[in-house]
Amino acid sequence: MNDRIIFENVSKFYGEILGVNRVNLSIPAGITSLVGPNGAGKTTLMNLMTGLVRPSRGCIRVLGCRTDEPEELFNILGYCTQFDAFPKGLTGYQFVYSYLRLGGRDSASAEQLAWRAIDRVNLVDAAARSIAGYSKGMRQRIRLAQALAHNPRVLVLDEPLNGLDPLARAEMIVLFRAAAAQGCYLIISSHILHEVDVISDQVILLSNGYVVAEGEIQSLRSEIREHPAQILIRCSRPRELAARTMECKQTIAVSIHHDERGVLVKTRDADGLYLMLNQIALNGIEIESVSPADDDVNSVYEYLIGNDEVVQ
Amino acid sequence: MTEPIAERMTEPMTRPATRLRFEQIRSVIRLEIKKTFFAKRGLWVYVLALLPVLLLIGHTIANSHQRERSAWLARQNEKPLTYQDLQAVKSGMTSEEVVALIGKPPIRFHWNRQRALGRGGSVNVAHESYHYSDGSNDLYLELTAGKVERVIIREGSNIGEDNIVFAGVFQFFFIRLAVFFGCLGIFMNLFRGEVLDRSLHFYFLAPIRREVLMAGKFLAGLLATCVIFVTSELLQIIAFTWNFSPNMRDLYLYQNHGLAHAMTYLGVTALACLGYGAFSLAAGMLFRNPILPAAAILIWEAINPFLPPLLKQFSVIYYLKSLCPVIVPTPPGTPPLFAMLISNPDPVSGTIAVIGVVTVALLALCASSFQVRRMEINYTTE
Repeated sequence: MNDRIIFENVSKFYGEILGVNRVNLSIPAGITSLVGPNGAGKTTLMNLMTGLVRPSRGCIRVLGCRTDEPEELFNILGYCTQFDAFPKGLTGYQFVYSYLRLGGRDSASAEQLAWRAIDRVNLVDAAARSIAGYSKGMRQRIRLAQALAHNPRVLVLDEPLNGLDPLARAEMIVLFRAAAAQGCYLIISSHILHEVDVISDQVILLSNGYVVAEGEIQSLRSEIREHPAQILIRCSRPRELAARTMECKQTIAVSIHHDERGVLVKTRDADGLYLMLNQIALNGIEIESVSPADDDVNSVYEYLIGNDEVVQ
Repeated sequence: MTEPIAERMTEPMTRPATRLRFEQIRSVIRLEIKKTFFAKRGLWVYVLALLPVLLLIGHTIANSHQRERSAWLARQNEKPLTYQDLQAVKSGMTSEEVVALIGKPPIRFHWNRQRALGRGGSVNVAHESYHYSDGSNDLYLELTAGKVERVIIREGSNIGEDNIVFAGVFQFFFIRLAVFFGCLGIFMNLFRGEVLDRSLHFYFLAPIRREVLMAGKFLAGLLATCVIFVTSELLQIIAFTWNFSPNMRDLYLYQNHGLAHAMTYLGVTALACLGYGAFSLAAGMLFRNPILPAAAILIWEAINPFLPPLLKQFSVIYYLKSLCPVIVPTPPGTPPLFAMLISNPDPVSGTIAVIGVVTVALLALCASSFQVRRMEINYTTE
């Protein structure tokens, strides 16, 4: 499996403290978000993936590379950590350039790649300044530049949008999307669920060191049977529609949307409801749209983990 | 990230491995050397390296003043004096006999002091002090009532004795303390300092083997310590030889093994940096608290003379002592325990000593490279 990031029964303990336990993952190309509250094991998972910590048990392969062989691993992987410390006395440019030189690149190539990466994160004007004088957002951007300077196939990004202003966040999301579209692997951890929703192809939900769920958001949601599906139906005559949907045995609750232009239905049988809506539409109620109201990361997260410490 | 994958993998990986490693080591040295030389927390290393230089410069200045004064005194003599002339003056001689023997004193002080008599009276007693010099050795005479009561000969700088003092400073202060603690300060911080600064991940996230990183950091530390301490030793040798007159200096350097000794001292200093550097690097990587391993190494080096022959070989000082060009004699009356610390009862040949230091350093570096592969970034536990 040289085209996946594989975790095989991986556990990590810090003495008596559990980092992650019995993690089995097979991560494909695209954007994968790690979601979970503080202490869930997101950073541990990333550090394991990049060899910064060694698993207490199990085995990890990144596109076939062992994580204890940094020379091979970091030619295909870039990691933007949350560690907010830099080697002393370096400018932004020197930071990225030195990183490339450490990999053995010659001066000209390192210089070219460094400037390109700095340009991507819009930090050219500040590149000659010492990192010690950078703002939090600038430090975050220069870390991103370092992570992507050598054009890695795998980008591991720990809270990459932290400290960035809205414009920079949007630019970075575009950058991530473009990379994913080209077949790169992006592993992103985030607390901000609506951003995860926007950028992720798949999510890995973590809680207390365990992987609670993994996969595409919609398929995850459909597997959560104990929580009824919520479906928002936009229509011209909501009260009439509400009365009709209550006739279905699987319907648990129906409420009129606050703008009086739709109905929110809670049902144990979404497919049955969709069939029923076809009938209703044929009988004269104009249905504008039907959309699931709880198949986003936020809902999945809330159902599986709870909503502590998460920005929605 | 937007380039095709084939293009991504090209440059560093296609180079020959040896050249790639060489380039990587150079990059690490470039990054480390500035930090090592100009780190604020390393300022004390310079102080340590400069202490013996200042000591020897002070000694040279004092000697120079003394020599000038002795030369001036010798010029004031009625007749030229030799060291034997100065030694000929004995206690009990009268002032006339002294003057007849070595002439009138160039410097003479006299004063009277009342001495109490038995029945409450007192008597004036004449005191005199004569200073002579043969140009390098000074004679001080104290006369009471016209008779020599005390004879003091202060010998001028003696190349043989100075040589032994220099060897003593080198072996017992410079190598065992200054270089030892200097290496400890620099090499322990190569990894430990970055763990404390929380910046080590910068290196661990680069496509470079950890052993290569360690080699680069070690060489940067070695370069820094060699520059600092070999320069210090060179300055000490200059200050030491400056002490002598030009003729004496030439004699010492070119006909009395002085130059060979100087080169040996510089070489031993570099080897000490290598040995103690490797030890300190290993200690910094194996232990969180540097004080305990530092104390352990210091004690291990100090008790080396008491160790069984096999264990002695796992010590840096064992080989360095054998390489030192001048044997520091044990002064008479030295306690046996202390005498044993000074002496080197079973020295090894120069070649074996060099091989020994290099081997001990390589063993320590092997332990470090084993440890660096196992190191994890977990700043919160530091």
